[in-house]
Amino acid sequence: MKKITIDHLPRVEGNGGITALIDGQTVAEVKFYINEGPRLIERLVIGRTPEEDVSLTPRICAICTVSHKLAAVRAMENALQLTVPSKTNLLRELMHMGEMIESHSLHIYYLALPDYLGYPNAIAMASEYEFEVKIALEMKNFANHIMKVINGRFVHGENTVIGGFGKWPSRDELLWIKSRAIQFMPFVLKTVDLFCTLNYPDIPEAETLYACCLPPDDKFGFWGEEILVSNGDHLFRDDYRQLTNEFVVPHSYARRSRYQGQPYSVGALARINNLGERLESEAGRMFRKYFNEHWKKNPLYNNAAQALEILYCFERIPQLVDEILETDDFPEIVPYEAREGKGTGLVEAPRGLLIHHYALEDGLVKEADIITPTAQNAEDIERYGVIAAQTLLDQGKEEAIRDRLDILVRAYDPCISCSVHLAEVRKVEDNNWQKRLQEIKSQKSPLFIGIGNPNEGDDAAGPVLIASLKELGYPALLASELKEKELPQRLNSEEILIFVDAVNAGKKPGEIVLIPLLSVLHSSTLSHRFIPFIPHQMSYSQLKNSYVLGIQPKQLKHRSQLSAEVRQALHKITEILKN
Amino acid sequence: MDNRKLKIGIYELTGCAGDALMILNCEKELLDIFQAVDIQSFLMAKSDNIEGELDVALVEGSVTTEKEIEELKDIRQRSRIVVALGLCATVGGIQARFQNPQEWQEHFRKVYGDTSMELKATVSKPIDAYVKVDFYLPGCPISKEQFLHFFTRIVKGTPPEEYPRPVCVTCKYKENDCLLKRGLLCLGPLTSDGCGAVCPSHNLPCVGCWGPVKGGNWTSEFYLLKEKGFDVEAIRKRMANYSGAKISEFFKQLDRRD
Repeated sequence: MKKITIDHLPRVEGNGGITALIDGQTVAEVKFYINEGPRLIERLVIGRTPEEDVSLTPRICAICTVSHKLAAVRAMENALQLTVPSKTNLLRELMHMGEMIESHSLHIYYLALPDYLGYPNAIAMASEYEFEVKIALEMKNFANHIMKVINGRFVHGENTVIGGFGKWPSRDELLWIKSRAIQFMPFVLKTVDLFCTLNYPDIPEAETLYACCLPPDDKFGFWGEEILVSNGDHLFRDDYRQLTNEFVVPHSYARRSRYQGQPYSVGALARINNLGERLESEAGRMFRKYFNEHWKKNPLYNNAAQALEILYCFERIPQLVDEILETDDFPEIVPYEAREGKGTGLVEAPRGLLIHHYALEDGLVKEADIITPTAQNAEDIERYGVIAAQTLLDQGKEEAIRDRLDILVRAYDPCISCSVHLAEVRKVEDNNWQKRLQEIKSQKSPLFIGIGNPNEGDDAAGPVLIASLKELGYPALLASELKEKELPQRLNSEEILIFVDAVNAGKKPGEIVLIPLLSVLHSSTLSHRFIPFIPHQMSYSQLKNSYVLGIQPKQLKHRSQLSAEVRQALHKITEILKN
Repeated sequence: MDNRKLKIGIYELTGCAGDALMILNCEKELLDIFQAVDIQSFLMAKSDNIEGELDVALVEGSVTTEKEIEELKDIRQRSRIVVALGLCATVGGIQARFQNPQEWQEHFRKVYGDTSMELKATVSKPIDAYVKVDFYLPGCPISKEQFLHFFTRIVKGTPPEEYPRPVCVTCKYKENDCLLKRGLLCLGPLTSDGCGAVCPSHNLPCVGCWGPVKGGNWTSEFYLLKEKGFDVEAIRKRMANYSGAKISEFFKQLDRRD
């Protein structure tokens, strides 16, 4: 078995990786993992005051620090039933624009663009694209300046507090931000043209669900009291758990989420897909010019969506400054008296939906729950990883897998500090089906399902193994029996399904493979064989929890016997399962 | 000194990546930085990284997994100078609160349950818990100005200056109102300077995010705050937030006096 590993993905924020395990002609697994260790942030705010919490939690991530601050402050204000003046919200929104532009411009120009232009980094790109590199740096610098003026510092500013701001920026500082934003417009429009016309590869492409905050008043924006899912579902902020039912996987310190069993995506592409119709002025015009069907199913278009959002921000900044300066007052921090309460704050971080939820008791944090965008995207990154790797493998482009996985992960703009770096390709030749079978067996009780024709030589492998497994007392049945059995009931359980069949995996006769059903379903050579046997009711979780135990056949002649090689393979399997 | 460019590596262990980001935030100086030295490894910024002998390794983040301990030891072994960059590397970060392994284990279980993780986690520690550190640059995150002063000295082969002053010094230069006098729980006297006294300059008390200043009088501040009527537990908690693994010695001082 070959393993493609990208151990430390370069040009992403934080330390993570991706591995693809390739067994013959199928992708055995793709894992997106986080190399960083646990920080237990949700635990160390317990017993702290709301003020301490909103100072500590933004430290989760440097690049999303403003979003964390806003999500924490909004959650606390909801818990404390505190309403701030609309002017305070306008200044918060202006600060948030700073973070969006800073993060997006860093990502598209410095981290992602070298991929499409064929450079190892942005600095190497500078000789040929000096203008773009320099102006993009100035744009990033300007965005940092906005955050410094409003939040007190580029990173981990403390000026935003529950109830308002420690100090308001002066009128001159705000007017300077407005005039500087207008100066950038020609370059911003060029940026949108550049990133919307890049040659994005069409692998991987597949439909997915998109989730984002639903901004009020039919506007585009980066916060809301509800979550909008692309299937039309609306979830009120306190019901966020319906979307983010977190679970732990052994290869990552970022907890995962699925919506109704399905992986989903959050981020700029999710917002543009869900809310792009709401864009006005130049951003609206550019959306109508460039948005097409590919944006709905290809995660690489996230780079284009980010460019579009930069434009939205640059158009919104002058409006915000004007609205803030309509009145001369600088609101004081709104005090609060409440000591109990529960509250949720929803905010769009640059890389997607960010949720903070707190319960307060006796003036101190009793419960804290923080759900970051990259942790939500992890499942979909793996799913698209399987699709990309399997499609390339089928096209005979195995050597392209590594780079594509790298670009895929980077397109998601993962912020690993938030969730907890990226990819390198390593190949190993070990087919460790025994170990994996034992692992599966020790975790949960598997249900074996046999596929095959008992009269066609080695195709009888499935039915023959099922008969001996029944003798051993395992839950086992033939695919032909599947429909009559109490299937819906079984499928609701946490059972692992193992399909047993003679599988042509390009190996020596009698060799055994154990591969996830999900990869098989995305393989153009193997899927047609299995799809008729896969019950329609299976959810993504069950699909992900199911495997194919395949035996390489020697011959499949009608009315012939099992070959000695396959017979021996079946013996090996039963020996393992006996113990 | 010959004219050979210094070989530099910038590494991130567990943290928010804020210190590496602050280097990228030196927008106007960034192209000069990349020209003045030979950046061999900087994962956040480039993909053609080389892991070999280094003149200077800048390490940010705290050590929280067994793999990171190995990586850190490897970095130390091939680097002439090792610099702890930022609060996580210097004191272990906010995540170094739970230093007692049993207490840490309990909290760990509450977040991750009993899943057996592939990457073995450990109690969060500053990098000097495992390797010799030549210079410390504190901050959460480091400040651009402080980094550029430090970096220029290193490039010129002069030892960088230390920051043995508390935040109060800058507050005095800026003629800010003393927030302790106004009755706010300000940690300025105990905290390393370098941020420009940013919170007090915004009418907000210092939270302590540059970490403990050398020679800070913790006992005196503690009793001062107690006299002002703050709850003893609340003071201890506030002092612990950004002091990481280095808080215990101060609390020992306090407990001896009590």
